[in-house]
Amino acid sequence: MTGAAWLTPEQERELVVATEAGDLEASRRLVEVFLPSIAAHARRYSTGLGVQRQELLQEGVAGLLFAARRYDPRLGTPFWAYASYWVRKAMQDLVAELTMPIALSDRAVRGLTSIRAARHEHLARHRTEPTTDQLAEATGFTRDQLERLQAAARTPRSPEDGAVVDQVRDTHAEHAFEQVLDAIEVGEVRSLTDRLAERERAVLLAHYGLGAPAQTLQQIGQSLGLTAERARQIESAALGKLRVALARPAPVRGSPNA
Amino acid sequence: MNSGITDLRHEALVYDGLDEYVSRAVAFLREGLRRGEGAVVAHTRGGLAVVREALGDDADAVTLVDVGAVYTRPARTLAAYHAVYADQLARTPALRAVADVQFGPDPGEWDLWTAYEAVFNESFAHLPAWVVCTYDGQRLPDDIRDAVWRTHPSVATAAGSRASEHYEEPRALLRRVAPSPPPVERLRSIGFGRDVEDFRERLAGELAAAGVPERRSLDMLFAATEIAANAVHHGGGVRDVRVGHAAGRFACEIVDAGLGFDDPAAGYLAPRDGAGSGLWIARQLTWQLDFLHTPAGFTARLVL
Repeated sequence: MTGAAWLTPEQERELVVATEAGDLEASRRLVEVFLPSIAAHARRYSTGLGVQRQELLQEGVAGLLFAARRYDPRLGTPFWAYASYWVRKAMQDLVAELTMPIALSDRAVRGLTSIRAARHEHLARHRTEPTTDQLAEATGFTRDQLERLQAAARTPRSPEDGAVVDQVRDTHAEHAFEQVLDAIEVGEVRSLTDRLAERERAVLLAHYGLGAPAQTLQQIGQSLGLTAERARQIESAALGKLRVALARPAPVRGSPNA
Repeated sequence: MNSGITDLRHEALVYDGLDEYVSRAVAFLREGLRRGEGAVVAHTRGGLAVVREALGDDADAVTLVDVGAVYTRPARTLAAYHAVYADQLARTPALRAVADVQFGPDPGEWDLWTAYEAVFNESFAHLPAWVVCTYDGQRLPDDIRDAVWRTHPSVATAAGSRASEHYEEPRALLRRVAPSPPPVERLRSIGFGRDVEDFRERLAGELAAAGVPERRSLDMLFAATEIAANAVHHGGGVRDVRVGHAAGRFACEIVDAGLGFDDPAAGYLAPRDGAGSGLWIARQLTWQLDFLHTPAGFTARLVL
């Protein structure tokens, strides 16, 4: 499996670099091109493991996009040769995390699905594991219910057990594609500008023509009912705020920040 | 009991199977918790699930960090860990961390991550943190096994823990393995303009013309502002600004009038009191940042 035999190496490089550079359309195209290869990997796992095919595909797509963010075309390795490792790893990691007991009721499976969704949401937002209380708040389960459900989901299984060869067209692929890309769009919003207040963001984006034609500080001031100087001050404060956010020293005993 | 950790202790653990990893990681973290230190486990989700279960009731006191998508570029990985450590050190006077290293499949990029492990020693040198980087000895390629001993002052294996006689001074290692800057294509001068605001306006126009997405344009504007500020304050002013492409990516060169510097760790040192953080910011926001002595002057090349 070569991944994308119909792309020239140059086209492939451009697509991967554009994806890494935050071009959402390129991300969509990249996923579209490699989705059949991802689906082929997903078929190696049995749905009897308690892991839904759609979850596997989502993890595979996330693995592909991670690979695009890390891949350096100058290494000379074809992208899929590189990315398939991360796709496989992402799926294996999901299976390792979500291995199921022999029999879970449908209700328990639905409960676990909502816990996973809440956990993924928390991880995407905070980059740390949620506490049990945070998960409880997000899902509506009590701590006791959560712990029992999670304990039930921890019986390890081998991903190779009962491998299924599935030649049927994967109806979950489209959903995986859309859900992961929706997550990317959320991630895009949580970029530098997400650290700013609305007015700060408006001034910065307008002044430098990000997403719309550039305006002078005078024009921006007029549209916001401010003087040009006030708009300049807002921009300056916004940049200062970003600087503080990106360069906040860790508190160390004995230092002024401690 | 007081913690004895006052600055960075950076070790490696080469484990032989998951059981050894879990038992040693959990014992290490529990000892820290007993001493009032913070505890951090960084692993992929599968690894975290195993550690969480083994920690039992102690899991609530441990910060579990999913690093499955963190190892993209060394500067970004350092920044991600720094944020976690900063949060932890706001709560405890010191911390212990167990971090599983994601070195990837392609031997061509192993030098990059070896350099990351080396510069980690310098980046976090000032933090009261005992960080154990963990490697699965059953899957460890020889080149990486070798690099483990070159980048960690001490290494633990099943045979015990000992100081590494192969440890290399980080900057020397960085110089040895540093990748060459990407070749640039079609750079052209746009000048600096009247002031930094004028510079940003010019650069924004170039980014828009190149079709760079909005979010990444802001990253470049902000990173280039930091570099330009450095050039103005420490480099005798900006002599020229050039833009174009390098290996398919948007590139911006800022040439200053100063003597420049030659520090392979520049921009990799985590923020700390009394030190500038402009280069740290610029590295986080770009794909690659190189500093070059050229006939035109000392040049910072930012590649998005």
